[in-house]
Amino acid sequence: MTDMNETNLSTALPGQERYVAPLEETPLKAVDSIDESAPASSMWSDAWRTLRRNPLFIISGLLIIFIIFVALFPGVLTKQNPNYCNLDNSLDPSSAGHPFGFDLQGCDVYARVVYGTRTSLSVGVFATLLVVLLGTLIGAVAGFFGGWVDAVLSRLTDIFLALPILLGAIVVLQMFKTSDSIWKIILVMALFGWTSVARIARGAVLEAKNLEFNTASTALGSTPGRNLFRHILPNSLAPIIVVGTTSLATYIVLEATLSFLGVGLPTTTVSWGGDISHAQSILRTNPMVLFYPSAALAITVLAFIMMGDAVKDALDPKSRTA
Amino acid sequence: MTDVNTENKLEAMQRANGPLLEVKDLQVDFTTDEGHAVHAVRNSSFSVYPGQWVAIVGESGSGKSTSAMAVLGLLPGTGHVVGGSIKLDGQEISGLKQKDYDKLRGSKMGLVPQDPMSNLNPVWRIGSQVKEALVANNMDIDHEKRSEFAKALAGEGMELKGDDDETFLGSKELPELLATARQALVNIGKTGEDLDKTMAYFTEEWVPGSETRWRVADDLIKAGVADDDAWYLAKKYVIGSTMDDRIAGLLSEAGLPDAATRARQFPHEFSGGMRQRALIAIGLACRPELLIADEPTSALDVTVQKKILDHLHMLTDSLGTAVLFITHDLGLAAERAQHIVVMYKGQVVESGPSLEVLQHPQHPYTKRLVAAAPSLASQRIISVKEHGGDAKAVMEHTVNESSLENGEAIITVDHLTREFKLPRRKEMFKAVDDVSFSIKKGTTLAIVGESGSGKSTVANMVLKLLEPTSGTVTYAGKDISAFKGKELLDFRRHVQPVFQNPYGSLDPMYSIYRSIEEPLRIHGIGDKNSRTARVRELLDMVELPESVMSRYPNELSGGQRQRIAIARAMALDPDVIVCDEAVSALDVLVQDQVLRLLNDLQAEKGLSYLFITHDLAVVRQIADEVVVMQHGKLVEHATTDEVFDHPQMQYTRDLLDAIPGGKLQLGLD
Repeated sequence: MTDMNETNLSTALPGQERYVAPLEETPLKAVDSIDESAPASSMWSDAWRTLRRNPLFIISGLLIIFIIFVALFPGVLTKQNPNYCNLDNSLDPSSAGHPFGFDLQGCDVYARVVYGTRTSLSVGVFATLLVVLLGTLIGAVAGFFGGWVDAVLSRLTDIFLALPILLGAIVVLQMFKTSDSIWKIILVMALFGWTSVARIARGAVLEAKNLEFNTASTALGSTPGRNLFRHILPNSLAPIIVVGTTSLATYIVLEATLSFLGVGLPTTTVSWGGDISHAQSILRTNPMVLFYPSAALAITVLAFIMMGDAVKDALDPKSRTA
Repeated sequence: MTDVNTENKLEAMQRANGPLLEVKDLQVDFTTDEGHAVHAVRNSSFSVYPGQWVAIVGESGSGKSTSAMAVLGLLPGTGHVVGGSIKLDGQEISGLKQKDYDKLRGSKMGLVPQDPMSNLNPVWRIGSQVKEALVANNMDIDHEKRSEFAKALAGEGMELKGDDDETFLGSKELPELLATARQALVNIGKTGEDLDKTMAYFTEEWVPGSETRWRVADDLIKAGVADDDAWYLAKKYVIGSTMDDRIAGLLSEAGLPDAATRARQFPHEFSGGMRQRALIAIGLACRPELLIADEPTSALDVTVQKKILDHLHMLTDSLGTAVLFITHDLGLAAERAQHIVVMYKGQVVESGPSLEVLQHPQHPYTKRLVAAAPSLASQRIISVKEHGGDAKAVMEHTVNESSLENGEAIITVDHLTREFKLPRRKEMFKAVDDVSFSIKKGTTLAIVGESGSGKSTVANMVLKLLEPTSGTVTYAGKDISAFKGKELLDFRRHVQPVFQNPYGSLDPMYSIYRSIEEPLRIHGIGDKNSRTARVRELLDMVELPESVMSRYPNELSGGQRQRIAIARAMALDPDVIVCDEAVSALDVLVQDQVLRLLNDLQAEKGLSYLFITHDLAVVRQIADEVVVMQHGKLVEHATTDEVFDHPQMQYTRDLLDAIPGGKLQLGLD
């Protein structure tokens, strides 16, 4: 050993001589020192910072605020009564106070588009809320308890997933044709829509359950139930929120589809789907009557899908394409 | 060491040829999302000569892997070389297009990547993945391709008559070759045991797809066969190999037993060590002149690491391959490489012949690194506080000696067994098999073992996170299996864990304040104000500033998180802390810091530790008693000094031998 050491000392190869960097070039820092200047960041504040800088979020956010405003205060945008229809005005073109003209029944298209917002939005929002609640509950229970509970709930999820939501909705809604409430359509959507959220919630809970901080918490004296609510669920929320935001748009479309098919909302309720359905027969002669409610629907759906994408990027940076 | 002649010849050739790889003032930048440039590597220079092992040592984030990837032209994402030069064989390669790089990679430069688990494609057979390397580089599978350098070294004393002498043996001709070789041996008068021994040697050495014609001839001549006859046989029967032979040959060179069968298996059928051997075979398949090994064994157990590196050393020596060895382990680097390059924060701070750097470190960072390296440390950390600031005066850790003998046991583990059911198997798997030991108050007992030895299972049973199949754990004289409700809560209060993964054991949604406060809240201790005061006190105890209270785990480094985890464990004033690989994921300097913290806390509060680790070197720094486990069984149990100075079992001795750099003599000044 010492021999080799000495030969090395005398005969270092060219370019491999002993080198020590001057200290001023590489000042030593204290081991593992902390940067106290940076602002604190939780997952939510990080997500918010990402969102704020995303143009997609800003555009969709403004649109959604506008849509919510219209839904809450339709009277601000139009003084017309959407249910006041005069056959005299049937298919009249746009005029002062009636920018979109009149439909076959002589109703003001602009007023109907404005008032239809509330229906579409409330169906979308409430259906999503119900779906997320139901799905998270079932998925979390399945993922957390595992074993036979998981087996039963997962098969149940599979069964519901196998039922086409449109077909199921048509069948169920036919039975309640007489009811006027928009709640029947929301409940039907929740009944057939919880499966995707349940699957994601189950996966997220399973993943969060096996993270070490749960074991750590248990060893600190925490109970399983406390772990579920304090640690596992908060850590599983992100993917659920992402699915929720994106699926909101789907439910708005579904409501329009069902109303179009005539099994959705009663004709007395102003809705975009119903109006699109009625405009269908005069599409060739008066396409604009169909265009306005369709455009409103498309913009709303687009806004929520864009919002979903932005939220997804913020909460799950891994899914972002570089 | 190889004999002096070869050594001198090697050096003369290295001097004559000049460096194989020469990196000068290399600068690598990464662009962040916001468009800032982060200087990952700055002004770094190093060189590798043919046939030489050079090690780059540094902590995570020091730029060591980035430098290696820059050489390979494989910088990830937004990284790019912005300055300096990289010369391979005198030719500048830093500005090459990817297409030109493709020609260099594989045939001139090979890579053995870090993680054997993720670097093999799980849907391809091992053999196909070796084949891919051969086919992509258009390799001649009939002939060995070796550098002039290697030929000159290895062919010493043999006259090579031409390229055909480097033809591989094929599996088809092997039986006949062996039969005629036996006949030839009989003809020259070999019989009985002598004959059998020589034939056994031939059978072992003559691997199809790896053994060349001149080696066969050489073996025959050395066994006593006349030159002409030997060459006649070699020329007649060694006439080239098939692709399958070559693949098996490469795998067997990398030290994989039964390579022909193994080549048809999938990665999941391989252990970590076997996968790493397959990756070595792939890296060397096209006989590169430079092999870049990026932490090739950091995911493996120490005994496996030693075997693999020993083999790789032998292989690269015989092929004349130069190796650029990236590692975080100073001891390992010094043991394996002739030349060491120490990197810190993207810069080379010191480089030179390995022993010299290690024995006389000059840069303060290197000094710090050498002082902290557990594999080089030779005694237990002595708490400075314990000895009134004069640690050097007390050479022996005497305080705990007496408590080890007469002390009262706080945790006793008695004939502990835990079985698990394996999927698709009838018999139960015994993860822990009849283990007994006890921890005396105020001392540290370490359980050492390789992965799968059952050491963590024991820890989980001591923490009552897992119920034993049989046997008991007693805490302060009471059997913990009976604990329920209030008693269990009380037990949890006194026995606290610190887990391995500093990234996983803190809830990412909780601020540091909430994380440390959680145990106080669970146990209903104090009101809001007193809890805040306690959290402050705890942070101070682990030497972190108060300002971290409002931060989240993702903002802290691994070592800082581990200190938070320790603060959380200390919140309830426990008697026992179970550290399950608590420092394994940390860089040496940080590891050293955390170990010292644990030690100070022990001295101050009279804590008892159960310390689970795979790293015997760490044990020496922290433990008073050691339990060695293998395959779920307790192999050896003694005081730390006993185990290190007089290991009783072969397994313990193997573990001690495998500590990298353990035998290096250090004259620290």
